[in-house]
Amino acid sequence: MPIIEVDDLSKVFRLNQKEPGLRGAFKALFKPNYTDKVAVDHLSFSVDPGEIVGYIGVNGAGKSTTIKMLTGILAPSGGAVRVLGRDPHSQRVANARDIGVVFGQRTQLWWDLALIESLNLIAKIYEVEPARYKQLLDQFSETLELDELLKVPVRQMSLGQKMRAELAATLIHEPKVVYLDEPTIGLDVMVKERIREFIKQQNREKQTTVILTTHDLGDIEELCQRVIIIDAGKVIYDGPISTIKDRFGKYRTITFETGSASTAGLALPDGTELVANEPRKLVVRFDRTRTTASQVAGALMEQADVVDFSLAEPDLESIIKQIYSGALREEVAV
Amino acid sequence: MRKLKRYASLYWLFLLQRFKVLMEYRVNFLIGASSTIFIQAASLMTVWVVMGQVPSLNGWTIDEIFMIYGLLTLAKSINHMFADNLWTLGHEYIRPGGFDRFLVRPINPLFHLLADRFCHDGIGNFLVGLVLVMRGFENLSIPWSLGNIAYLVLAVLAGGSIFIALNLITCVTSFWIMNSVPVTLAVFQTHEFTKYPLNIYGKMIGVAMTWLIPYGLASYYPASYLLGRDVGYMAWAMVPVAAVLLAAGYRFWLFGLKHYGGTGS
Ligand SMILES: Nc1ncnc2c1ncn2[C@@H]1O[C@H](COP(=O)(O)OP(=O)(O)OP(=O)(O)O)[C@@H](O)[C@H]1O
Ligand SMILES: [Mg+2]
Repeated sequence: MPIIEVDDLSKVFRLNQKEPGLRGAFKALFKPNYTDKVAVDHLSFSVDPGEIVGYIGVNGAGKSTTIKMLTGILAPSGGAVRVLGRDPHSQRVANARDIGVVFGQRTQLWWDLALIESLNLIAKIYEVEPARYKQLLDQFSETLELDELLKVPVRQMSLGQKMRAELAATLIHEPKVVYLDEPTIGLDVMVKERIREFIKQQNREKQTTVILTTHDLGDIEELCQRVIIIDAGKVIYDGPISTIKDRFGKYRTITFETGSASTAGLALPDGTELVANEPRKLVVRFDRTRTTASQVAGALMEQADVVDFSLAEPDLESIIKQIYSGALREEVAV
Repeated sequence: MRKLKRYASLYWLFLLQRFKVLMEYRVNFLIGASSTIFIQAASLMTVWVVMGQVPSLNGWTIDEIFMIYGLLTLAKSINHMFADNLWTLGHEYIRPGGFDRFLVRPINPLFHLLADRFCHDGIGNFLVGLVLVMRGFENLSIPWSLGNIAYLVLAVLAGGSIFIALNLITCVTSFWIMNSVPVTLAVFQTHEFTKYPLNIYGKMIGVAMTWLIPYGLASYYPASYLLGRDVGYMAWAMVPVAAVLLAAGYRFWLFGLKHYGGTGS
């Protein structure tokens, strides 16, 4: 049984288009000129308990809007959402007990309160059983290294400290579903790593279901087995990451180190492209549906004085970039 | 019942945390709590100077006017202490996006908003009002009977509720408009009229402050009742009016919430 079901979900924002200046303001007031902005456009997907799903797309694709409907903040304009069998918007309070939300850009902690005071308050709001609370606090303090932060008010924390604190606050009531909207935005590698570890651990130990939006594909590669890509409010891919790599990672690059400087007038196999031609270095990109690495390497070795070469694995980043840019959109069968 | 207990204990916790923060900024706390006393003192001086010129205002002596003033101030302080955060709904919660947080927590969002910031500045108002009313009881020989004390408490709570309900109604407009503060201010400031006996004004203002923006029910009528001036049933009108306004305010709040669910801004 899926824990989240999204069925033909849409969200349309009605905007009152204002013309500039005072006249425009008056006109907008008395003769409003509405335009509809479709932020989420007939989305359908479902998520099983214990899954970690990456929810990605370009800026403005509709990720946050979807999350707001899943959490019950916004009402859908069309279609339906079910989380744990409930309608999150009309049963907002009941839904709230079972979910946790991180909005990466804002904090849920009280600005002036020491972290421990914020956590105490949150535990009371969610009615976390005191003994359990103590246990979790110890556990979180260790994995997120919160010990030194507990007495510090949020306003004095760095971005990374704030996000660690935020995650503790979000998971202290052991929600069944967690929505993370850009939890690693602006963080350094170490903090990112720690946060990913924490999310993985929670998921492993408690079967917590996680929906994660991010622009950092490292998050996706490390945490998610499955990714949903949306564009202009529509799903353009839903499936395992490995499939994207196989299906869409058709370009690979080989970097050759050459002994002699002159490598002019190279003849390359079909489906191959010279990306860089520098003294002692050649970078070749090829379409692996049209040729193979050995053909390319063989051809180059015949024509140039190759000292060394390396084949780069298709990286998610460049694949996603291609998908975003629309190059592969026609190919993507949903 | 369990729910009530839960909310009461939550409120208490919010309050404790708030005081902890206030103690951290001790100077701010003292300035805030006492600033209202100075503001009130200046305002009271005006009354005193004006009344120094005339022995009575439409049959009201200075002590009696201070009684009206005191009752109003007490009612206002209830709103000031417990519901001041309503003012900030638009610019500190909805606009910056923090309001979303209230909607993903398993408690009533209006409760959350009110509990989020107890306003200590209101304490000064409360003390000024209390002193004025106590002084009125003494100087005007109003008996400290159980009935009078119960009436006083009722009048202050109902009056406070009228203040809260009217602020709620005007602040809920921030679900639609960019800045609701001028709207709230415009309604709120009319309470200045009700620091004085309503019968000194023309009919229009008297009726408006009784039925339209009924701050008068929190001051003029209860004061009249305590002073033994017969105002009939109007002495009790603040109770049903407060109840109706609170219910209407809450309804309007729910309506605003519904709108927010549609637009998210
Ligand atoms: N409250 C709103 N009113 C009107 N339009 C909105 C509102 N919220 C979002 N939009 C519009 O809906 C679209 C989707 O926005 P959304 O915030 O969901 O994108 P996103 O995928 O989260 O982008 P990002 O990666 O930048 O966070 C955008 O075009 C945005 O301008
Ligand atoms: Mg977003």
